[in-house]
Amino acid sequence: MGNKQTIFTPQQLDAYQDCTFFTRKEILRLFYRYHNLAPQLVPLDYTSKPDVKLPYELIGSMPELKDNPFRQRIAQVFSEDGEGNMTLDDFLDMFSALSEMAPRDLKAYYAFKIYDFNDDDYICKSDLEKTLNKLTRNELTEDEVRMVCEKVIDESDLDNDGRLSLEDFQHMIVRAPDFLSTFHIRI
Amino acid sequence: MLFVTPLLLVTAVGVAAADLYGTEASVRPETAVSAAPPATLSASPAASPYPPEEYAEAGIALARSADAHDPVETTDSGDASHHGGGYKIVQWEWSYVQTPYIIAIWILVASVAKILFHFSQRVTTVVPESCLLILLGLVLGGVVLIASKKQLYQLEPGLFFLFLLPTIVGDAGYFMPSRLFFDNLGTILVYAVVGTLWNAFCTGFSLYGMKLAGIIDEKVEGGMMEFLLFGALISAVDPVAVLAVFEEVHVNETLFIIVFGESLLNDAVTVVLYKVFISFVEVGPGNVQTADYFKGVASFLIVNVGGTLVGLIFAVLLAFVTRFTKRVRIIEPLFIFLLVYLAYLTAELFSLSAILSMTFCGIGCNKYVEANISQKSRTTVKYTMKTLASIAETIIFIFLGISAVDKSKWAWDTGLVSCTLIFIFVFRALGVIGQTWVLNWFRLVPLDKLDQVVMSYGGLRGAVAFALVVLLDGHKVKAKDYFVATTIVVIFFTVMFQGLTIKPLVKWLKVPRSTNSKPTINEEIHERAFDHILAAVEDIAGLNGYHHWRDKWEQFDKNYLSKLLMRKSVYHKGELWEVYQKINIRDAISVIDQGGNVLSSARLSLPSMASRTSFSEVTNVTNYLRENGSGVCLDLQVIDTVSGGKVEEETETHHLLTGNLYKPRRRYHAHYSRHFMTVGDKERQDREVFQRNMRSRLESFKSTRHKAKGRHKKERSQKKRKGSDAKEQEVNGKPRRNVSWQDTDPVTAPVDSPEERSEEEADKDEDVGITFVARKHETLKEPLKERPKSDMLEVYQSLAVIPPSPTCAEKHLPWKGGGGTLPVCVSMETTKIIPIDLQQAWNQSISSLESLASPPVQAEPQHPRVRALSRAEAARGGNSGGSDSGGSGPAQDPRFHFPNDEENGQSLQQQESQPLMSSMKPPAPPQVSSTQGMGRRPPTFNRNPCVYLRSLVSASPPGSEPRSRGPTQL
Repeated sequence: MGNKQTIFTPQQLDAYQDCTFFTRKEILRLFYRYHNLAPQLVPLDYTSKPDVKLPYELIGSMPELKDNPFRQRIAQVFSEDGEGNMTLDDFLDMFSALSEMAPRDLKAYYAFKIYDFNDDDYICKSDLEKTLNKLTRNELTEDEVRMVCEKVIDESDLDNDGRLSLEDFQHMIVRAPDFLSTFHIRI
Repeated sequence: MLFVTPLLLVTAVGVAAADLYGTEASVRPETAVSAAPPATLSASPAASPYPPEEYAEAGIALARSADAHDPVETTDSGDASHHGGGYKIVQWEWSYVQTPYIIAIWILVASVAKILFHFSQRVTTVVPESCLLILLGLVLGGVVLIASKKQLYQLEPGLFFLFLLPTIVGDAGYFMPSRLFFDNLGTILVYAVVGTLWNAFCTGFSLYGMKLAGIIDEKVEGGMMEFLLFGALISAVDPVAVLAVFEEVHVNETLFIIVFGESLLNDAVTVVLYKVFISFVEVGPGNVQTADYFKGVASFLIVNVGGTLVGLIFAVLLAFVTRFTKRVRIIEPLFIFLLVYLAYLTAELFSLSAILSMTFCGIGCNKYVEANISQKSRTTVKYTMKTLASIAETIIFIFLGISAVDKSKWAWDTGLVSCTLIFIFVFRALGVIGQTWVLNWFRLVPLDKLDQVVMSYGGLRGAVAFALVVLLDGHKVKAKDYFVATTIVVIFFTVMFQGLTIKPLVKWLKVPRSTNSKPTINEEIHERAFDHILAAVEDIAGLNGYHHWRDKWEQFDKNYLSKLLMRKSVYHKGELWEVYQKINIRDAISVIDQGGNVLSSARLSLPSMASRTSFSEVTNVTNYLRENGSGVCLDLQVIDTVSGGKVEEETETHHLLTGNLYKPRRRYHAHYSRHFMTVGDKERQDREVFQRNMRSRLESFKSTRHKAKGRHKKERSQKKRKGSDAKEQEVNGKPRRNVSWQDTDPVTAPVDSPEERSEEEADKDEDVGITFVARKHETLKEPLKERPKSDMLEVYQSLAVIPPSPTCAEKHLPWKGGGGTLPVCVSMETTKIIPIDLQQAWNQSISSLESLASPPVQAEPQHPRVRALSRAEAARGGNSGGSDSGGSGPAQDPRFHFPNDEENGQSLQQQESQPLMSSMKPPAPPQVSSTQGMGRRPPTFNRNPCVYLRSLVSASPPGSEPRSRGPTQL
């Protein structure tokens, strides 16, 4: 593929390096991946900062992802517009948050966001029910889901308000030592 | 020639196994009986020790084999050998029972030794048990040696490989934390394969170099092949030793699984290397052709892959078999033992890696088998496996110690011993560091320096190496005796010295220890969610990484494997639910343990709760725990009615009594069947009672707590009640026992004051067809009058029913003094909502107490008359009657009321209803027993007309209630 200068200006690359936990090489690799997802949409010249978005339909229709219950939610959380349409920045952000270098709190924050389906900054019962239904593919009865949800909130709800705040979530997740340490992927 | 050796090994193993019994039997050397009765060979040694008497009384088949031995016995055994003595009453049959007797004695000695070790807390915390056992073995060996001038016992390779090792490996494989194992599988494989190869070759070549350099004595005859052979067998980390030592050290799970997994999986490498080198030694190094090396590599692959495949095939088989054991629960555990053991033997049969086979069989089948078998079988499997493994381990270490005390074995060469010790340690460390450096490029969580230190130091050698070295043919491997001695020293050094020091080392280095935290449902959920999220992100990134494949595997498992291998009733539930139940049960058990014997009847029913029958009925125990606040006592009533120390104390005593006196009334016929453990009667009843208790507590608690929420709350609970009513019906498949209650409902209805009436009417109108029972209106009347009206209204607003709650009843217990405490408890009790079923349950539970407290008037069977009377009353009261009228209940449980005669106004009614209440008690027990008989019928079979009617009348069909959609019963 082409010369890196034709894709990004050095300033852009530096900026990306500052904003993410990636090296130049990794950024370029991710860019090519991004480009490959939609070659007809994404130009190979990014120096002029084109306003390109990868529509969610494209990600959601990937064959590898078709069974993944969280595909839409991930795209929503990491996309800026909340609709699942991802710009390159979003794309890089996503992998950056899941890279090894990312601090625990950032990961916990994003994990929390993924669970927080209704974006009210709390994981409440309806969020948990959604999560559970996604995880079990609707195989539990309402009743069972409800009980498990109660239990979950029960376990980690420190301030007893019947829902999980970010603090509750972090506290719970930090308690298990190698929990977040496995929450990353290598690019 | 390479393919001859496997056969050789197998035959050698077989011969050795037969030999063993010969050796053990020859305690008295003159005894020529090679008493190896077929029965003892077929079973594992830990299982074989029949008590001698039983053995003597065994069936015809054994008797026949005894006949065969008889001539020998009579000539040999001293006491019984007098000829022509006629019939002897007592005979000395030592030679007959000898073999199993000795085995049993050995196991007994080993077990008693364990007890003794653990008497001293201090010793066992410092010294690992394995060290102590070896020391004990040394002492015992010394005793035997002194007594008989010749070492009679040693660790026989046949016994070891066929019986002792499988029990340990089977246990390890079956209970292997599979996720942890597969997460680290790459690392484990590298260490097991590359590491072992590295160790074997480096040690072998270096020793040969030392030999050439003259450091090792000339007497140790051997060429390069011999030393490579020795290197191969001494380099493998031993699972038994690792398990024994690491279990006491409690390093973190990752570290443990890597070391232990390595020790299990390196078996294949060791076996292949061992065989290859033996064949090379046999043909002589000069005759080895290039093709043989390739054959060696091929055999390595075959042994590995073949072993794994055999294991997986048996795993599938086992899982499939357990799918159909529903009707023969009693032999479920047996299938597991047999098939896992067969996996081992089959692999051994084809000279594949038996340990590998067994490990993968255990790992593979665990998930499905655990889901298929019953809770009791699970417990059985767990304990039996642990017992066997523990005994096997003990015996191995004792025999290792004994084997060392044998003059014939000792051919000491300082050079060889010290070189071996140094080399294995150095190469282990080098190997670990090198491999870790490479692996850390790929691992998600890199292994740090401390981990590497522990891993190098944890390279313990053990009984596998010893058994292999004893198996060597002394004629072909000239230096066998030296090798044996060196192996013993190496084992002793690693197990005793390193085993002793590894604990302080781990402490000193502050290696992260395993946190023995309880699993939470949160972790389970987040783990799964994270898996999916990571898999999704990996897929977006276009990487086919670990998460990607795991996701694919899980889908495959879900779509095909689980459907094939799990019972239909099980597989759709998912593991999440499984975990939830486990946690719930654990909480329940801890709650009840803490709560003392308040719930002693409930404790009985706990184990059965796990078998997914009716678990949702009991629902979330931790919720009780939490809401309860105290976290100690589950008994809400005790806490709710805090009205003074004395009363509380009495209440508690009363509850205690209730709990304890409850059982005697429920006595069941002991039912014996060889093939079925009757899940039925007793358990179901206990469970039912437990459910009722729990439900009553939940309901009453909720309503007390959220009194302010008033009607809406109440309606909900009523609905719930409705649902569970129908449910109950289905569950127990029997007529309800409290029919008479509904009939008596109207008795007390008319006494309500107008306001109350209207309130109640309104309630009733809303909740058509719900059977709730209000009680004790009359008693409350007096106190209520003194209260402000608004208060009363508030109280009654939330009152559809007044419960026959225990505390309520207690207030009126005869020995409780007058009605002085009544006003205090009004608000508490009135807000409690308890279904009638519970009244029934409560009645039953209280009845025993009652019979103690007030035996006289109670048991008059006036049933029909009173019912008629009450009907008349109902009509007079203008109550709407019909099934609706179930909504307003009988006021008071009058049995507790009879001493309080001061309420004149109602005394008549009470007197009338009093015998009625008690009269419904006598019919109860027969009904109970009849339900047991009918328990297995389909739920629709015997619907109670009454409830059926009610469900017709009710606003919404019970089926639509979430409550009733719980797990299918029975």
